Amino acid sequence: MASPVVAQRPAETPARPGRRRRRPGIGGRDHLVGWLLIAPAMAYFIIFLLYPALAALYYSFTEWDLHSAPIWVGLQNYTDLFFDDVKYPHFWKSIQVTLQYTLVAVPLTLVTALAQALLINTIRRGSNLFRLLLFLPVVTAEAAVGAIWRWLYDPQYGLVNAVLGLVGIPRQNWLNTPELVIPALAFIAAWQCGISMIIYLAGLKSIPESIREAAVIDGAGPVQRFFKVTVPMLRPTTFYLVVTGIIAALQVFGLVYVIFSGGGNRSVTGGPEQSGLAYVLHIYLYAFRYNAMGAACAMSFVLLVFIMIITFVQFKFMKQEVS
Amino acid sequence: MNQTTVRRLPIYIALILLALVSVVPFVWMLATSFKNGPDVYTQVPQLLPLDKKTGEWNPTLGNYEYVLSISGLGTAFWNSVWITCVLVPAKLLIDALAAYAFARIPFPGRDKIFVLMLAGMMVPTITLLVPRLHVTQLLGVYDSPWGIILPNVASVLDIFLMRQFFRTLPVELEEAARIDGAGRMQIFWRVILPLSKPVLAVVTITSFIFHWNDLVWPLIVLNDPQHYTLPLALQQLASTESGRAYYIMAGAALAVIPVMIVLLIFQRRIMQGIAFSGLKS
Repeated sequence: MASPVVAQRPAETPARPGRRRRRPGIGGRDHLVGWLLIAPAMAYFIIFLLYPALAALYYSFTEWDLHSAPIWVGLQNYTDLFFDDVKYPHFWKSIQVTLQYTLVAVPLTLVTALAQALLINTIRRGSNLFRLLLFLPVVTAEAAVGAIWRWLYDPQYGLVNAVLGLVGIPRQNWLNTPELVIPALAFIAAWQCGISMIIYLAGLKSIPESIREAAVIDGAGPVQRFFKVTVPMLRPTTFYLVVTGIIAALQVFGLVYVIFSGGGNRSVTGGPEQSGLAYVLHIYLYAFRYNAMGAACAMSFVLLVFIMIITFVQFKFMKQEVS
Repeated sequence: MNQTTVRRLPIYIALILLALVSVVPFVWMLATSFKNGPDVYTQVPQLLPLDKKTGEWNPTLGNYEYVLSISGLGTAFWNSVWITCVLVPAKLLIDALAAYAFARIPFPGRDKIFVLMLAGMMVPTITLLVPRLHVTQLLGVYDSPWGIILPNVASVLDIFLMRQFFRTLPVELEEAARIDGAGRMQIFWRVILPLSKPVLAVVTITSFIFHWNDLVWPLIVLNDPQHYTLPLALQQLASTESGRAYYIMAGAALAVIPVMIVLLIFQRRIMQGIAFSGLKS
């Protein structure tokens, strides 16, 4: 065993300088090619990512309407956001709405996705068809999702009330009742859980058959197997989905925008009593309705910091889990 | 029926119920879109396009005609088609070139630049919107199709995915091509790209779906209804015609159906792609 390894080494070592010697100057030209190939992506990155990120940070310390020159105001945007409830009356409300939405939508989505994945994983015939059907809502444009669900939730002619009527639940005005807005939005999120379902399916497929068999031999029933084998084995998948799910839910925007826009001249407000005023919708309104770009940038940095803290805490938590 | 079939019956019933929840909204959308206005608003939900009074078969294409011509969804549809057809290939090329350099060409600073780009992915989109809008104004592309294309013409996530894939290709192939006298670009076109069809397919399809559906950026950068993309035109329609569900559902169907077709054709690749990357959202 040892001798071939020893024999290989001298044969390999001279090969490398040999290749270099055959192509003098390739290093320099290769560097140039490398730079040229990343140049378009680099230009994009600088113009549309790096500069905007830094500019947003700068603008968050200014008062700016996009047209005249920004006026430096220091930390005032940030302090006003948190403490001036005359200037920003709905700031805390939007945070509350977003947190509530996240707390309801993320677990609901993951439980639905896991249930779907478990069911699909147990069957053979038709599993591709079910996977496809359950995935359809994911690829649907949020403008269409919003439009379709507004019609489904219609208080008088909506299908949701009609179906619930069959089991004796009285008609609700889903999108116009403050307490029902978050559940209604979370249900749409769960309806669109297809990505999590696919990722859970991949997670289920990666559980070795031998572990399941061992549990069967040890006399574990299906319920025990689910809680003692499947759930622990899926923990990394769940963790990933929780992190990405929270980060996505905190940024929910397009859907609420479509759902609560409309009625002709009525402007977007975020639903009855601001019960659907998601944080990003709040930012959007300040930036593009009230032209308060500086304040909007400050709000978006509060979100950025919040997301970074969550990511950081969760990864600390994961490291602890692993060790 | 054998025993396994009987045991699996409840599972199939559960799956059929879940699939119904998933699909019925689309069926309802289509059903509404083919109904005449008065027939839409019935106390008991009616799947088929029947006349409200006489109960006779009474479907119409009028809603589609109306939204395509009068609400401007026809223009918007073609705007979306050509924007996606320019954007997706351009983006694919820019991302693939960069991914190849990051995967295979050693040049000074390469890995630092790559890490910086990945860090940029963490910034939420909403943070970038205001300065990006300002940049498009400075570049003179505000309220034009290029205002959609340019700010989307590369993607760090796609560069990352392609780089990961390119790195799994055997170096020996490239070395053999080099010995035969091929330059970097020839290797890229003749060796790397033909071997990378799976990842190229995933990135192309997910990009198509994402940009076809995108509402937020067009909402901010477009002003003239002549330039609207389909999702934006649909949002406007849903807002101005909010009392006329039959028009809105026809508009929604126009936005949904092309993507459904793409999903049906490429479902296997899309599912595989998600299993290792997650869809961009």
